[in-house]
Amino acid sequence: MVRDADKIFEVEQEWKSIRVNTIKIDREKLYERLCRNFEIREIPWYENGFFVKEGEISKTVEYYLGYYHIQEASSMLPPLAMQLEKNDNVLDLCAAPGSKTTQMAMMMENNGLIIANDVNIKRIRALAHNIQKSGVINCIITNYNGIHFWRTGYKANKILLDVPCTASGKIIKNKKIAEKWNFNRVIRMSKLQKKLIESAYKCLMEDGIIVYSTCSLEPEENEEVIDFAIRKFGMEAEEIKFKGIKTRKGIRRWNGKDYEGAEKAVRIWPQDNLTEGFFICRLRKC
Amino acid sequence: MQIKKVLNEKEIREIEEIIEKNYGCKINLRKYKIFLTREDKIWLVNKKLNFDIFRNIKRCYRIGIYFGKLKRNKKIKLSIEGALLVGKRAVKNIAILDDKEALRFMQGYDAKVYELLNCEINNFVLVKNNNDVIGVGILRDGYIENLVPKARRISF
Repeated sequence: MVRDADKIFEVEQEWKSIRVNTIKIDREKLYERLCRNFEIREIPWYENGFFVKEGEISKTVEYYLGYYHIQEASSMLPPLAMQLEKNDNVLDLCAAPGSKTTQMAMMMENNGLIIANDVNIKRIRALAHNIQKSGVINCIITNYNGIHFWRTGYKANKILLDVPCTASGKIIKNKKIAEKWNFNRVIRMSKLQKKLIESAYKCLMEDGIIVYSTCSLEPEENEEVIDFAIRKFGMEAEEIKFKGIKTRKGIRRWNGKDYEGAEKAVRIWPQDNLTEGFFICRLRKC
Repeated sequence: MQIKKVLNEKEIREIEEIIEKNYGCKINLRKYKIFLTREDKIWLVNKKLNFDIFRNIKRCYRIGIYFGKLKRNKKIKLSIEGALLVGKRAVKNIAILDDKEALRFMQGYDAKVYELLNCEINNFVLVKNNNDVIGVGILRDGYIENLVPKARRISF
């Protein structure tokens, strides 16, 4: 159980967050330019992230030119858990709208290959827009249903599986999420997420990794899916450590079920860092 | 996305020459893999990309970034990213806008020119404000015709 879970209904987010696009500009140069018009502070857990207080950050020359991307501070964490190297073959199975995809491309310095897939053509347009604006040249956008992507035969050594979810972690930004909350939807999402992790597993090379993430707080969408992957495919959960952010371990027991691998997963609760909630777990194919 | 042609070194050099002729600068496009799609749109992708991947992956929506469009008059209408690549070294066909007109340009309006550097009328020009290349336009009589795509425009 989470003792202070009620606090998620009380906290508010004052600062917006941006990620420097180092493909186009140096961190220091952008900092210098934005400091003229905005109050800025560094995001402690990611060197290329900044918090920005107030102001129209989507209406600047720098934004127009793709020098930075507006991205939730906690959503910068899953790509960090990927342990990316320049020549990786990466599959981003549910990529749109592309914040994490462009972050990964940036971390790989536009090398290697990223397959950015999404099922929804409208969301793919947003993904393509962000990839163009960020100047990403190591990316191919595909339009498959993620559940069936494995049929292409493509094998990646690293897979980001940032699955569709009920997004209850976004409650810090939008309190109406609590009013719309529906347990049937959680169960529906959980089933979809299990199908997606199965497909991701089939696309993974031996010894490859899957980073599974959601912006939901429900164990059914998080620890239960990890437990499913460990039990069904024999995957191994790996410990992840982030510096500069308060994290908690995954929930081991929920509604009479014991979840395997939960102690190695990471939860970011909105009340701990005043960010959106997030769940992140790294799994390795043994 | 239907690839019409993957350009060889000679064809890439021809693109470089078109750019040199228009903007007076040499750029190295041979460090990219370059291909054309229908309507002669030019795309850049990482040189190491192996196109064999498309034997299995058929539902491909996009590869790399859009650099520009090759026009019939042997000129290239650059995208903003294309303009950023070329703009660092360009010495001709450059239109400079003041801050007020630059904002109007980024909103999608035609803009009045502050200064012109070796420009030909009715030709593509790189549009600059301070040290930033903010896109391309066509130099008309006394103004720059805006070519910023709708999706990139911002409302101030």
